[in-house]
This record gives sequence, structure tokens and C-alpha cells, in this order.
Amino acid sequence: MNSVIKISNMSYKYPTGKVDVLKNINIEIEKGLLYAVVGPNGGGKTTFCNVLRGFIPHFYRGDLRGEVLVNGKNIVESTLGELSLSVGFVFQNPFIQISGVKETVFEEVAYGLENLGVHPDEIRTRVEAILKLVKIEHLRDKNPFELSGGQRQRVALASIIVMEPDILVIDEPTSQLDPQGTEEVFEIIQIMKEKGKTIILVEHKIELIAEFADRVILLHDGEIVMEGTTQDVLSDEKALSYDVMLPQYAMLGLELKKRGVPLRKIPITEEQAVEEMNWWMAERGVRI
Amino acid sequence: MSQAAKTNYILNLYPTTKLLFTLFIALSVFIVPTYWYAYAMLPVCLIIAIAAGQGKEFITLVRNGLLILLVFIFLMQAFFYPGAQILWQAGILKITQEGILYGLNMTSRILAIGSAFILFFRITSVKDFVYSLEKLGLPPKGAYVVLATLQIIPEMKKQTSVIMDAQKTRGVETEGTMMVRAKAFLPTISPLILSSLASTEERAITLESRAFSAPVKKTHLYEIYKTKHDTVVRIGMLVALLILIAGRILL
Repeated sequence: MNSVIKISNMSYKYPTGKVDVLKNINIEIEKGLLYAVVGPNGGGKTTFCNVLRGFIPHFYRGDLRGEVLVNGKNIVESTLGELSLSVGFVFQNPFIQISGVKETVFEEVAYGLENLGVHPDEIRTRVEAILKLVKIEHLRDKNPFELSGGQRQRVALASIIVMEPDILVIDEPTSQLDPQGTEEVFEIIQIMKEKGKTIILVEHKIELIAEFADRVILLHDGEIVMEGTTQDVLSDEKALSYDVMLPQYAMLGLELKKRGVPLRKIPITEEQAVEEMNWWMAERGVRI
Repeated sequence: MSQAAKTNYILNLYPTTKLLFTLFIALSVFIVPTYWYAYAMLPVCLIIAIAAGQGKEFITLVRNGLLILLVFIFLMQAFFYPGAQILWQAGILKITQEGILYGLNMTSRILAIGSAFILFFRITSVKDFVYSLEKLGLPPKGAYVVLATLQIIPEMKKQTSVIMDAQKTRGVETEGTMMVRAKAFLPTISPLILSSLASTEERAITLESRAFSAPVKKTHLYEIYKTKHDTVVRIGMLVALLILIAGRILL
């Protein structure tokens, strides 16, 4: 297995906290896969992201035990600057994710590349390409402070993926977006995945996770209570007991199974559900 | 200003050239002993400001920023500077020849230096200035602080009005007499300060996410260059400075 992040026996407590926010986390993140982190609010998802990016322990102090290796190197020994080369981080609040020193969206997106010391000509081509990819070309000359929440979220995403880190940690990128915008963000994530990036995505929209994620990590009260392929986790009734919603297709499947309908598997996406229902109806001699 | 900067040769000068000019004026008023020279720097700066299309703003700033101060300093010196040649006396108040001379000397220099700096900030965008300082070796952190302050002040202004609206909906009176406004001050300013402090943390994370502390040399998308105009102006100032010093020594 080709793992880019390896976490063993990791626990973490905030400096002001009395109890561990993350408890005995063990996981290996495999290269090129899309991991969805789900779980109820307060379950430790954002804290988990902060560890992956090294903000814990480099920015927030607190008590970090265990070992976290990113690309084989212990994050405690790397600096934030070094980690910024390998791990890209988009966090929740889009209103604050603006450098505050740039006057246009174009310059804003270019800011990370300037910091990485990329040649100006290359910056221009890369920023152009990303603006097109994220569909914010029309905003290029606007002041980043004058954008709506959804627009800022896309600018924030663009500003990070333009830096082309191998690992992307994305914390609720669609919280400010309408369904259309959400779908567009997931398209971008899909493109990133096709480029071979490893993505760790915190997201509540479970239908979209079922569609796009390779694996699901369920965090509950600071513990990884379930971890596995998207199909396995999202079709398992046990997830419900951890306050995680299952996709409506899985709920349908589970309910049907409870009533004695012999489905081959619990569907988690629309496509699977249609397929399963067609199969079942064909079994029962129903012609469509 | 950025539009005009493309065509105006004064605005187009490199920021440090403009700064050198300001320093040149500040230095020269101490080399040339006569106050009329220092006073003459005001019209000189004004002419440059007008040539750069900033005449009106320049005059307003000089008037608002310097005039009262200068009048006050002049009167203080005229009345209280010790001297023998009394021009006018009423009770303990007296105006002396020396006092007037000293007052003229002092105010002329303050006016010259003040207007030179006002001119500098009228014809230089802070962005350009910080860029040139960074090229000279100002650490990126320092440059960030200067630039961020400029953008964050209008943001805070916006936030103040949001907070005031929020407090109004909670029944805090924010309009009316002086007393009412004074009472509204605390409920407005405390959330503003607290939220600003809270957002610095996330701002720092944002900067780190954008590789602010990456161990490489930064590049700049936005660049400005020195032109031959800069060389001409710099040599001109050097020559003028030498002439002034020579004049001071010889005369």
C-alpha cells in the first residue's frame, strides 16, 4: 500500500481543554484516493484537518501524542512552510480566507505562487488555467473583499489548488454554496482526483460523498468509529447510531431489506438504486 | 491613480527616487540657512503636485495638516523666544526681532519637510512603495503588515456599521445627542475589537495555507522598474545637493 499519510496512536488535547478532542487515531491515507470525513458537529473533523496540515502542533499548541507522518516525515519535525509545499488546505470560513493584501481576484489567486517563488510568467498561465477550471474568470478584476460567500469560497479553493499540492485537505467547501455551486465544486474535486491528488474532504452532503468519495472516515467524539470503502460505510446501518445520515438510497435499501425484499446490495447512489430496483422488479416478473 | 500612473512621468518615477527627493528637500533646508529658501519649497512641491495631477489634494492636506500647527509655533516663538530687540510690548507679552526670525526659520523648515512628505504620499501608491522597500530588503512580514493595514481599515469600517446595526436591533440607541452616542460607543467597539482579534488567528492560517513561510524566495507578479528618468532625477538631485553644500562652505 502506497500511503502518503500515516497516523498512529494519535491523541490531541487543546491547550485549554480538559479532555482529548481526538482519541487514539490510527489510519493510513492512501495516495490518489478521495477520503470523505463525516460525523456530527463537534466530532473532531476540523481538528483532524488541522493535524494533517500541521497547524496542530505548530500553530495551536496543546498536547499531541502519537505519530503523524506526512510523506514519511513526522509533522512535528517539519515546519509549516515545508508542509505548505505538500499539503494544501482550504478551511471552512470563506470570509477570512483572503490574503488581505491583494486588490483583484487574479492577484489573490496568484499570491500563493508568489510565495512559492514561481516565475511571474508561469504564475500568469497557471492562474489563468485555474480561474477557468473553477469558473471564476468573470471575477478576475474584482476586489476579493467585495465578493459573496460562495464566490469567496471558490476563490479560496482556486487559490489553493493553483499551488498544486499533492495532498488537499478541504474542510466543508460547500457550506456557502447553492446546489449548482456545490456541484461545480465537486466537479473540481473530481478533476483534482483525476490528476492523482490525494484528497481529504470534510463534507456533510452525504449524497455527494456517496457519489465521489473512495473511502469514508467516520469521526464521532474524537474517535474513528468507522472507516472503509464508501460502499461499505454508507450502506451500514451502524452509521445511523453515530448521528450520521445515510444517503436516501441507502435508507430506501435498508427499509426494503427490513421488509423482506432480497436486494443484492444496499444501493448508495441514485444509479445503484435504479439498477437494484430494476433487477428486483425483473426478478418479480415486472416488465418496465 | 493607477490609470494616470501609466502616462504621467512624475507618477512613473520609482518610489525610492521620490523618497530621495523628499529627503533631499528635508536635508537642503538645513544646509541653506535662509528661511525664504525653505518657504520656497512649498511652491516647488505644489508645482510638482500639480504636474502630477494632485494639486488640489496636496493643497487641502497642507492646509488641514500643517497650517494651524505652523501658526501656533510661530506665535509661540515670536512671543516667548528670548531676545533683546523688542518690537512690541504689552504687559509681560513682548515680541522680539529674534523671536520672529527664529519662528520664521523653524516654521519654514517644518513646512518644507511636511509638504515634501505630503507630496511623496500623494504621488506614490503605498503598494509601489512597499514593493520597492521589499526589493531593498524589508522582510515580507513587514511588507504584509503595511499592506494589510491599508485593506483592513476599510473592512473594519464596514464591520463597525454591521455591528451598529446589530446593536440597534437589540435596542441600543446609536443616534441622537452626544450623550446617547457616547453610551453606544462601548457596545460598538468591544465586539469590533474582539472579532478582529479572533480573525487574526484565521488570517494567520490563511497566510500559512498560501505558503507565506515557505522556505523559498518570493516572486512578484506586480513589478515596477527604474527608468532612465530615475537616473536623471537622482543625478540632478546629487548635483544640486553638492552645489548647496559648496555654496554653504564658500559663502
